[in-house]
Amino acid sequence: MPKYKCVELLESLQNDVRELILAANHLKSTDPGILLQEPAPGKWSVIQVLEHLNSYGRYYLLAFERSMNKQTEAVEYFKPGWFGNYFTKLMKPGENGTITHKMQSPRDHRPSKYLDAFPVLNTFLEQQHYLLELLELANLKDIGAIRTPISISRFIKLKLGDTFRFFIAHEQRHFVQINNAIAIIKGVTGISPATHPAM
Amino acid sequence: MIPVDTTSLRQFINSVYPLQEAEMEKLLEVWQPFSCKRKTILTAAGETERHLYFVIEGIQRAFYMGSQDRQEATIVFTYPPSFSGVADSFLTQTPSKYFLETLTSSNFLRTTYRQLDQLMNKYPTIQRMVLQLSAGALKGVLERQIELQCFSAEEKFKTLLTRSPHVLQIIPHKYLASYLGIDATTFSKLLGSVRL
Repeated sequence: MPKYKCVELLESLQNDVRELILAANHLKSTDPGILLQEPAPGKWSVIQVLEHLNSYGRYYLLAFERSMNKQTEAVEYFKPGWFGNYFTKLMKPGENGTITHKMQSPRDHRPSKYLDAFPVLNTFLEQQHYLLELLELANLKDIGAIRTPISISRFIKLKLGDTFRFFIAHEQRHFVQINNAIAIIKGVTGISPATHPAM
Repeated sequence: MIPVDTTSLRQFINSVYPLQEAEMEKLLEVWQPFSCKRKTILTAAGETERHLYFVIEGIQRAFYMGSQDRQEATIVFTYPPSFSGVADSFLTQTPSKYFLETLTSSNFLRTTYRQLDQLMNKYPTIQRMVLQLSAGALKGVLERQIELQCFSAEEKFKTLLTRSPHVLQIIPHKYLASYLGIDATTFSKLLGSVRL
């Protein structure tokens, strides 16, 4: 099991979130038509993926905040829990942006088909900025002693440090999906009429 | 605790605004070493800059990302020995409009707004030093404003390479072109034709 210096772990998680903010800014300058298009029938559009992330953000940001109200003293090292580490590894995309374990999203986190691009993008960005602040505040807390209930069951609680890792890995995972969706849509619209699938 | 090596910071401050030894020591006390890999985002657009960095090693770039088109503008580069961080966001403690990233792996000393603010409240000479540094930065920005608005691509190119010839070796040319607000192809044409 890896052991982290709390300061370094929180710093690297903040850096991950900043990369997500940069990626979301790129999406803001992408044609909303591309963002709203399904890459294949029944597959989520980029905006649907973001709304899926927002729905988790609505749960977890509040859960982080609530659990951080607990009075603790900051410590130097963080040791991941067995479950927390396992879930994070399962979620996190590989170095080359590959996803190994396919998963089904729970019913209550499946996004509507009828979404407006910019409000969804702006909510995502607001949530990431709030997450950055929480990660900064976490420097004053014991991220190993505080436990946060997870969304599947409020009775299962993971260490705050693991819940941060898991939550951010989940976002990174879906950004791989976003990049793949955009590549497919751009590839499809780039095809000239003569080689259209209908031929 | 290992003492922090502040030699290069001391030298730099002495060259721009010499301080009395007592104040210099107080100022050097608040810096911590910080290292990161290349392409690390130090500050994201929308975040308020908490840190003032002093660059020991590496190159950094601040860039703006427009939401209307795909144009991205390089605002400034920093490299040793100089300060880094999103200056306007840091000084005003309001959200940054642009990103600050490392182009190469970098070593810094850094301090926080709160620590510097406390020092400025206590020591008027430190406050004057910060004013002097900010004034220098403002002068640089306004000069660049003139270059961007009035100069031709060739004049901008010449001015940059006369003022800082070494950047050609250390900064990728696409970023230099973006800094000058010219096309990457125009930049390489100028590189082949302009005599300095």
